[in-house]
Formats: sequence, C-alpha cells, structure tokens
Amino acid sequence: GNKQVSGVSSQGCQGGCQTCSVYNGCLTCKPKLFIHLERDGMRQIGVCLASCPNGFYGTRSPDRNDCIKCGSECDSCFNRNFCLRCRAGSYLHKGKCMESCPDGLVPSDTKKECV
Amino acid sequence: PRATITVKLLKQESTGRPITLEGLFVRGSEGKAQGKLMQSHPLSLCNTSEDERQESIFISIVKLESPESKVPQCQPLLDKARLALQRGAQAVIFDISDDPSAAQELRDGSSLADPVVLVTSSDADELMGLVNKNEEAMVYIDIMIDSPTWPHYDV
Repeated sequence: GNKQVSGVSSQGCQGGCQTCSVYNGCLTCKPKLFIHLERDGMRQIGVCLASCPNGFYGTRSPDRNDCIKCGSECDSCFNRNFCLRCRAGSYLHKGKCMESCPDGLVPSDTKKECV
Repeated sequence: PRATITVKLLKQESTGRPITLEGLFVRGSEGKAQGKLMQSHPLSLCNTSEDERQESIFISIVKLESPESKVPQCQPLLDKARLALQRGAQAVIFDISDDPSAAQELRDGSSLADPVVLVTSSDADELMGLVNKNEEAMVYIDIMIDSPTWPHYDV
C-alpha cells in the first residue's frame, strides 16, 4: 500500500507526483513528467507537468526532469541559449533577445524580431 | 550555539505579539539576520535550477524531507545553503524534523557568509505552518545569550 513516511506519501498527491509532502508539494514525478517549482507568495511547491510552462524549458536527466527558466528577456525558449520569443522591448535575432538590431536589420514590434 | 528566532506577522506588525522560537546555528555561521520568510523547495537549490531573484530582503526556509522520499540530493546541504545565500537570502533556516541526519552534514559552517539555522519539532512546525498558510512574516535571527547560572551561596 501507499506507506505514509513522515508526511511523504504517494497517496493524496497531485496527479503526476510520485512522492509529495504537505509543505513541499511534489518531490518526485512519475516517469516522463517534469517537476516545476511554482512560487505562490511565500510558498514554493513542486508540481509535475507533461511540459514546462511559458518562460521555462525542459531538461531530462536520469534522476529527474526539470523545468528551467529561460533567459531574462525571453518568453519562450528551446534552451537557455536559444530563445524562440522575446519579451516586449526586446527583438529576436539568431536565438538571442537584443535591445537593438544589428546593422542591416530593423526591429519589428509586431514580430518582436529583427527583420 | 543557539539562535533566537523572532517572528512578526506583517499584518499585525504594530499590534500583534511576536512569536519567539529557537534554533541551532550551524557552527561557525552564528550571527544576526532579518528578512521576510520565504520557502525554498529542496530542489530549487540544485545547481541546475533557475536563479529566482526576490524583490524584498528575505530569509529562506527549506523543509528537508526524509531520506525515504527519494528527493534527489543534487548537491551537499552546505552547498545548498551557500547557493541560497548567494541568491540573496540574508539567512537560511533548515527544518530538519524529518531528516535529523542533516545536522551531521551541516556540522561545520565556518565557510558560510551568513547565518544558517536548524529547527525541528514545534519550532519548525510553527514556521512551516506560517508558510503553508502564506502568512507573510518578518523573521529576526539573533544569537541566544544563555542566562548566567549563579553559583549557590550559603547565606
């Protein structure tokens, strides 16, 4: 059965959790899921997701799959060094978010890219 | 070296009575600190996790889970404490109620720049209870002065 060990259990956990606890939320996820650390005021709890939310990208390793935050000016990314969509005020060029575009290109506010 | 942990709820800062708790400094890290209480998930202090900047001056509290929970350790607790301090925490509080072995792992804090305090049982429950209810609180850490024991005089 689902043995309750000092507050840690797999019973009563949010959907994708393998183990969870009252204070930390998810501690480990079921296979293939990503653990995302959500900030809710003072609290920071783990949740298990099939894919990472906007502003984060997924990394896989033998002992766990993490959601890692994109770079500071990036809204959506493939990994830490390759942005897919920049935040307002920045323009995407070759996977980077830039405040101004290189020579020969102009910023497009609609696309948020250097074109 | 024991620590006093004074907690003032932000919503009653002027009227409410502070809560006084106790903890144990990691040896070599004794000192004063104050800040808003903010929880850090144990996995948030791995090298891979993101650098979550806080706006306010804060003190991190980390609830350590029992070894059976199989939370990936990712790095030693001393390095986790150091990472939390590097990210701006004024101090780190570890709730070791469910992982007493952490005290052994955290026995020498001489390389730590700021206070790291271990709490257990009712003191830990009080702090984590506030976090769980999202009751914003200011925490003041100080070194406990042991009241001198007067020698017995035959008068």
